[in-house]
Amino acid sequence: MNGEKRVWRPWRRLLIVLLLLSLAAGPSVGTAQTFKTVTGKQQLYATPSFSGEVLGTVPEGSEVTIIQQSGAWSQVEYQGQQGWLPAQAFAGSKKVDLSGLLQGKVVKESKTDEVALAGKGFTPEVEADFRQKNPSLRYDLVDQIEQFTVNAAALQAFRQEGGLR
Amino acid sequence: MKKVASYLLMLGLLVACGGGCGTVASTVAGLPGVPESVKPAVDIAAKTGEKAVAAAREITPSEEYYLGRGVAARILARYPLSKDEALQTYVNKVGHTVAAKASGSRPSKGYHFAVLESSAANSFACPGGIILITKGMLQACANEDQLAAVLAHEVGHVANRDGIASISQARWTEVATTAGTEIAKQYGGTLGQVVAQFEGAIDDVFKTVIVNGYSRAAEENADRAGVQMLKGAGYNPAAMSAILTAMSAKGGSGGILGTHPTVTDRLDNIKVVAQEANTQMEPARTQRFQAVLRR
Repeated sequence: MNGEKRVWRPWRRLLIVLLLLSLAAGPSVGTAQTFKTVTGKQQLYATPSFSGEVLGTVPEGSEVTIIQQSGAWSQVEYQGQQGWLPAQAFAGSKKVDLSGLLQGKVVKESKTDEVALAGKGFTPEVEADFRQKNPSLRYDLVDQIEQFTVNAAALQAFRQEGGLR
Repeated sequence: MKKVASYLLMLGLLVACGGGCGTVASTVAGLPGVPESVKPAVDIAAKTGEKAVAAAREITPSEEYYLGRGVAARILARYPLSKDEALQTYVNKVGHTVAAKASGSRPSKGYHFAVLESSAANSFACPGGIILITKGMLQACANEDQLAAVLAHEVGHVANRDGIASISQARWTEVATTAGTEIAKQYGGTLGQVVAQFEGAIDDVFKTVIVNGYSRAAEENADRAGVQMLKGAGYNPAAMSAILTAMSAKGGSGGILGTHPTVTDRLDNIKVVAQEANTQMEPARTQRFQAVLRR
């Protein structure tokens, strides 16, 4: 019996790990969870669409509350305002601290070390380091271009006027 | 020793289950049941495993976005951004109209179009969805439909991820090399290595976009994709042939024209049927195009 117990113990731990993974896989229904937007300045949309009305911007590093998810979009609350952010808004999110998950506490990111950041590939942190080393590059203009938006109603009127679809 | 092996086996299974599981694998070492003596080995194996997964995977949409920003930042260091807001808005309206009909992958943060202050006729597609067009190229277009053709061609390059394809395979697999040094280095210096790889990848894409041009197949695919977008949006698909012919007649080689294949081959490749053209509203579109450019 003891020999059998020794054989199965690691697999029991594996099951525990898999249980924790399944709990961490996504926001649970009815439980608000907090994440960080870390992939630079984000636009908050009225609807889950890039052509939707832009309600405002969410600065890098802001914490938002996830209300629900729809495909690749998350409905969030930020400073009392509700809107939609694309999944990429959280693409650079750090590891999730699972402590407290089972107690129903808010799930937050934990800070990771340099190696873990490097393992994630090309991230905002990598860009920040690159920008610092190459101050002549015009990232300020790139940021400006990303703010160019076309109002959905104006785009529709433009298409209609030109006989376009 | 058996215990260590069993933990490593368990970890291996977790890492093997895919990229999504890779990052969580390192939390194994944080579990209360894992003895202190095992934690260092598990930690190193987890981090090495993550890197091996990273090397084997394709570039993600998020990484493509950051690479594209770097390429755009380099181009914008060479060409200033036009301060004509009405022109920027107009070009974005045309661009979004054709981009809405694009097939293939959609950039993670959508498309953004911008006009550069340069008399040279050029247009650039940055990975991640930033598309730049010079005033010289705008002036080379006879009407809105030709402008739409230029933008649709560039959207085709983004949707087909042609810029990303120009990153050398050797550079991308450098990530795997860093995995080999993980245990020796413990936790030092790898972010700097990734930044160097990031810079190299930007350089690869920049050279393709600005200097060498895309492959023959990539240009022809972008032409075909562009014609489909024009048709889908209601523009005259013959505008693609018209702007290619006009650019060729001027003896240019930048932007949409590229360096190869020949314009004759490209015209043959798209073979736009004239009867399919929707020209009813073309004069109205040309009128607003000229109004914006003459301001």
